[in-house]
Amino acid sequence: MPDWTGEIRRRLAPLALAPEREVEIVQEITQHLDDCYGDALARGATPAVALEQALVELEGSDALAVALRGVERPAIPPAPIGGAGSPAGPLAMVAQDVRYALRGLRQRPGFSVLAILTLALGIGATTTLFGVVDAVLLRPLPFPHPEQLITFFGTAPEKRLTEVAYTEGLFQVFHDRSRSMQSMAAFDTWGTTLTGYGDPERLDLGLVSTDFFTVLGTRPLLGRTFMPDDAKSDTATVAIIGHALWRRRFGADSGVVGRTILLNNLPTLVIGVMPAGFDYPDKSEVWMPLRLHATTFNCWCLNTVARLAPHQTADQARVEIDRISDAFAASRRDIFPDYRPGGSGGTVAMSLLQRTVGNVRLPLIVVLAAGGFVLLIACANIATLLLARAAARQRELSVRCCLGASRRRIAAQLLTESLVLSCSGAAGGILLSIWGIGALRHLGPDTVPRIDQVSVDPRVLGFGIALALVTGALFGLAPALRASRVDLQLTLKDGGRASTSGGSRRLSDVFVVAQFAVSLVLLISAGLTLRSFRNLLALDPGYRVQHVVVARVPVPYPRYANDTVVRQFYDRLLEGVRSIPGVRAVGIADLVPLSPGNTQNNVIAEGQEPRTGEPVLVANIRGVTPQYFEAIGTPLRAGRTFTDGDRVGAPRVAVVDESFAHHFWPGDNPLGKRFHYGGDTTAGRWITVVGVVPNVKHGALDETPSLQVYEPFAQNTRWNDYLVVRSMRSPAELVPALRAKLATLDPLIPLYDVRTMQAALDHSLAARRITDVLLLVFALAALLLAAIGIYGVVSISVNARVQEFGVRLALGAQTRDLLGMVLRQGVLLAGLGVAFGLLGAFWLTRSLESLLFGVRRFDAPTLAAGVVVLTAASLGASLGPARRAARADVVRALKAE
Amino acid sequence: MEPTLYDRELKKGSTEFLVLALLEHEPRHGYELSKLIASRSRGVVRLHVASLYPLLYRLERRGWISGRWVEKPRQRRRRYYRLTPVGATVLDDQRRSWVAFVGAINRITRLGHA
Repeated sequence: MPDWTGEIRRRLAPLALAPEREVEIVQEITQHLDDCYGDALARGATPAVALEQALVELEGSDALAVALRGVERPAIPPAPIGGAGSPAGPLAMVAQDVRYALRGLRQRPGFSVLAILTLALGIGATTTLFGVVDAVLLRPLPFPHPEQLITFFGTAPEKRLTEVAYTEGLFQVFHDRSRSMQSMAAFDTWGTTLTGYGDPERLDLGLVSTDFFTVLGTRPLLGRTFMPDDAKSDTATVAIIGHALWRRRFGADSGVVGRTILLNNLPTLVIGVMPAGFDYPDKSEVWMPLRLHATTFNCWCLNTVARLAPHQTADQARVEIDRISDAFAASRRDIFPDYRPGGSGGTVAMSLLQRTVGNVRLPLIVVLAAGGFVLLIACANIATLLLARAAARQRELSVRCCLGASRRRIAAQLLTESLVLSCSGAAGGILLSIWGIGALRHLGPDTVPRIDQVSVDPRVLGFGIALALVTGALFGLAPALRASRVDLQLTLKDGGRASTSGGSRRLSDVFVVAQFAVSLVLLISAGLTLRSFRNLLALDPGYRVQHVVVARVPVPYPRYANDTVVRQFYDRLLEGVRSIPGVRAVGIADLVPLSPGNTQNNVIAEGQEPRTGEPVLVANIRGVTPQYFEAIGTPLRAGRTFTDGDRVGAPRVAVVDESFAHHFWPGDNPLGKRFHYGGDTTAGRWITVVGVVPNVKHGALDETPSLQVYEPFAQNTRWNDYLVVRSMRSPAELVPALRAKLATLDPLIPLYDVRTMQAALDHSLAARRITDVLLLVFALAALLLAAIGIYGVVSISVNARVQEFGVRLALGAQTRDLLGMVLRQGVLLAGLGVAFGLLGAFWLTRSLESLLFGVRRFDAPTLAAGVVVLTAASLGASLGPARRAARADVVRALKAE
Repeated sequence: MEPTLYDRELKKGSTEFLVLALLEHEPRHGYELSKLIASRSRGVVRLHVASLYPLLYRLERRGWISGRWVEKPRQRRRRYYRLTPVGATVLDDQRRSWVAFVGAINRITRLGHA
């Protein structure tokens, strides 16, 4: 039997079938021809005649392929000459474009790596920041219907107070009268000491009204939450503990509910355990019921959380609280002697989310925007590169057009190339963001709220992918549209010389100008925030942070039942610490700078009593021991600090800060002047100023100074105070010595919140430092990308004009002239970019204003520095191509002509 | 004699119908189909390899017939084609319109001679 396979295969070859399909067809037709041949022999034909008869079956040499072409699909589509009537479906067409694009990327590794790296950086940075913004700003709080949760507080601008908490009585009034909120709870944050289970441990305590958990809608993991009876004074003390504490100190034993533990040395019944992650407010680990007295109006210390009634807004709640406050104050002039009608219009109500996120919102958005700008610059850069590539590929595209590819088809294919590029970049970018988010989480939860919850989740991944598609379309569209408008005749006639058309050069120029404009905005923004940071660091905070360790030492009530016992304990502690070698100074203060909390009071200077309706000023009040100023490093400006003689029974004295002195006695000597606190009408109310110290930044370095009063600790004793130690020894040596000393005095008192003042200062600046560093990184990345962009554009234009330069040289032009010509091009583009950038900066830096410190947003040196850096970058980037232009080969140029 | 354009068109339109009709009652392989068409048409219609197999593949792709490799004792592996339910419906339709068409042609041509 003859072997037909070779013949059949040859006839099928033009179809380029998948191997397995080809084998099947060959087998079937072979069978057919075998039968034909066999039958012919059987009819008595000679082998030669039988062979001829069988081959007749195959008809003409291409008949089989032609007849099969419309039926069988090729395994490998033909190279994408992109004929309009391509038989493949749209999906196959996309697959074909993708394969072609990948091949193209492999052929130009330099371009591909540069483009993918650029994109990976841009997409990675933007995705990471989106992850942070999503977790910190956008993700709802972990409570049911979190959008209904709000908080509200008062303000007193006339007393320079931006936030005023409420008294128990006032909260009760809101609670009873409000209709815009379906439920409302009050809370305060404290600390408590757990003893009896190993080492004493200080715990953050949420003192909450009994409906607190109902308002938030969180159920306990074990046991129950509070009931109204729990807050009655005749019932046993109860507490709910947090999940982390339950695991850490009680080994996750479910039998802890119903057990009595010692909190502040008081037997307390554990009634519930909260689920994992619940630590509101302020990372609380224990919650105890707040006993509210409707007649108490002296401590303005309660915070609120409320759930809005259906269809009510925070603003409606604000208006209602204003109205209730006003009506109540008008009816109780005994409590509100300063009341003026309409004077309570200072309520602020905001969503709980907004409150939690606080002041990181703006910096985060600014940094995210900066990341987005860098990505835009990266896109413009790649668009420029793609334009240049498209110009170099004009001949290829023209050939395809001649072979019947439609413009749409070519544009679609070029766009696919961009998308393949951007998706590769996105893959790298997402890897980068996984790394970046991991790094950011390590910053710790204290720098940015909820930063510990940042993760690469489907939302973040989706964002990265969407970003890839958008950027791919963004940088691919213009080159694709431009390249698809090929002038066939011109290009083919031109012999495919890589010449860029005027249009695509103009487009590249626009991209470069845009890059420079955006870079300048970023440089100026980074410059402004950096200057702000430097100003903050150069600021005198009113104390010296070096060599100072602070720690809290709480004395538990009722074991320490009165001021005398507390003072005796602290005196012994001071004495003990002073005896530790290396200790230079040691003091006690109820509050130290850069620590949370504040005690304030109305102050009235002698002879300056405000008239009715006039605002009374508020000052921060601190109780400190004599050596405190030396320990914290606050110098004395006038008078004296405290002595051991300033104790109970002695005349009341105070040290005030310069703001205080200047406010009440401008230009006058404050020493010996007297003042008293609002509401104090006793005979012993007068306090004499004995010393003046500089203003101290208490909460943050960028705060506006408030008035400050220091009283002798002996005359103003508190229970939970800071130990301040100035020592030449390292904290690692000092802290164990402090603990040992404390243990000899009272082993049940923990030393907690131990930190150096330097760490506290760094921590207070951490969020700002992160913002500034990120802005600077983005600005430098933008500058680098813009420089690459200008290099690319000038380079391409030099390549295209190399013959022209040669001719110019032949006609007598000097190298210097050519250098100048090319450099002028670069500088002109940069100049236009700078002009637009200044306009952009003018408009965009408005949002930065509240982040600036000690620098205006139109800061001439910063603006000038930005312009100089950009111009230098453009000159530097144009220099290479300019040198190449100057070395143009006259002979080759003339030959080519 | 070279086939006229008329012959070619007639053949092109009818081969699908012929193949479907031959597969109506039993599965057959390609060579069998070509032999049956040649013998039953007494040599008027012949389907060579280059037309028959593309036709079979096209019908199969449309889902009118389905092919299967079958091995029988003492025989080589062959691919047998059978009519699918869809193919059966198509065959019915084609048969109806063919009868109607032939009837119409007959009526016209007889009328012409009258």
